[in-house]
Amino acid sequence: MSIVDKLLDMDQRIIYALMFIALAFPILFPVMLPMDIQDYSRQAFDFADGIQAGSIVIVEGGLTAATYPQGGPGLVAQIVHMLSNDVKLVFFSLGTEQNVWTATAIEAALDKLPAGVSAENGVDWVHLGYVPGQESGVAALANNIRSVLNVDYFGTPLNSITLMDGVNDATAFAAVLWWGGSEGSIPWGVRQFVTPFGIPMTGMCTTNEVPNYTPYINAGQLQGLIGGVRGSAEYEYLIKMPGPALGQAMATNFGGLLWAVLVILGNILYFVKRTQEGG
Amino acid sequence: MDSFLFGLIAGSFVSIGAYSVLIGDNPLSKFTEHLYTGILGGYIFATNWDYIRSNCVNNIAQGQIIYVVALALSLMLLSRLKPEWVWMSRYPVALTVGVGLGLAIRTTVMAEFLSQITATVLPLTNINNLVMVIGTVTATAYFIFRTEMKGAYEYVHKTGRVFLLAAFGVTYGQTVSFRFELVIGRLVDMLRPEVIWYTALMLVLVAAGLAYGYRTGKIKWYSGR
Repeated sequence: MSIVDKLLDMDQRIIYALMFIALAFPILFPVMLPMDIQDYSRQAFDFADGIQAGSIVIVEGGLTAATYPQGGPGLVAQIVHMLSNDVKLVFFSLGTEQNVWTATAIEAALDKLPAGVSAENGVDWVHLGYVPGQESGVAALANNIRSVLNVDYFGTPLNSITLMDGVNDATAFAAVLWWGGSEGSIPWGVRQFVTPFGIPMTGMCTTNEVPNYTPYINAGQLQGLIGGVRGSAEYEYLIKMPGPALGQAMATNFGGLLWAVLVILGNILYFVKRTQEGG
Repeated sequence: MDSFLFGLIAGSFVSIGAYSVLIGDNPLSKFTEHLYTGILGGYIFATNWDYIRSNCVNNIAQGQIIYVVALALSLMLLSRLKPEWVWMSRYPVALTVGVGLGLAIRTTVMAEFLSQITATVLPLTNINNLVMVIGTVTATAYFIFRTEMKGAYEYVHKTGRVFLLAAFGVTYGQTVSFRFELVIGRLVDMLRPEVIWYTALMLVLVAAGLAYGYRTGKIKWYSGR
């Protein structure tokens, strides 16, 4: 068996081991590579930065245990950003698991808030909790919040929450910040908040979903898009709050480089073998 | 040991168990799969029940009788657990699908169709707009099926295919990157300074257990590429 055949027939577990080393190395020994801010991330940041103080914004928290490491740091950064700008936040989640991770992000953001920033539960922010029904749930929430929920995440009746005074449908919100993760829910926000009510919206999705949602930006239905861990890292960078996403983005770079080398090597070896066989 | 650290260590152990499937199917990977499915199933049931209790049962208790309909439909979904009663669950499923479809269609024409077409009608003043217009037109034309690929249409068809292949390449690259991010998310927690030694110990234990299993033939060695 030639060296080409041996390499082409390499046990896939060797590739897994190499990939593990490539991804773990930058986490154990942080390395910083130069990074540009993507247009979509900057647009999302600029839009959020331009929301007027005192406005109420609705935030969908769609991150799960799998996607929180990617989107969580960005969500935390945006909560800090919004509360620091005196923007009021109304959170909700479309999944049972996402519900808990949204609460985790709020808790993490409150710990990172600069001194003097007001962040009282029920006054500056409220977590409505889990809204079932997927797109139907979003539509119901946009039209009549109290038809879907009586109490918030902590069991407090909505009618006794100061921030919810006079807030019962989409018209109360100045913007929608949709942290959809990998739940594929951004189109629901576009269809139920943006199109019928004209509320401007930005989105966050995992890296693999970015190509699916860029047409919404071109059409003006999304004001910006935060994609995966890189998007989170960029948001951290833009609000000058370096955090965990930046390190993870570097690890992704190393994995990507190794993957690209393997793909190129595999193709070269394939053509060499075909040439040797006279194909 | 506080609950946070315990969670990190438990998470590290379960992650190693789940990733051990990369070596080959084994009892530990199966155990972690079943553990995850069981915990998630129970958690989803409990959270949904809590939602029904606070937003439906409580409303009925306060005299809003209309919520009895919602509660009855929710309970009918559980009839799937007994094969003879499955027919009952079809009514709430049909209602859910129908309402969901109706709500989605209401704005789909504007959100997914007209707005996207409008966004593609761009002035051909820069390379980005040119690529956008040519790519959209030729990729759409690629799906016009006809028997003969002759004349100008042959070039339109081929150009459309190039754009589609480029789009598939981008999607593939983004998907690979997303998978890296999933692994990195776990590694960040597993390699925290306060957890790394537990992770290393568990890796050694799992490796020793699997090696023993493979050597004694108690676990079948997967010999694929």
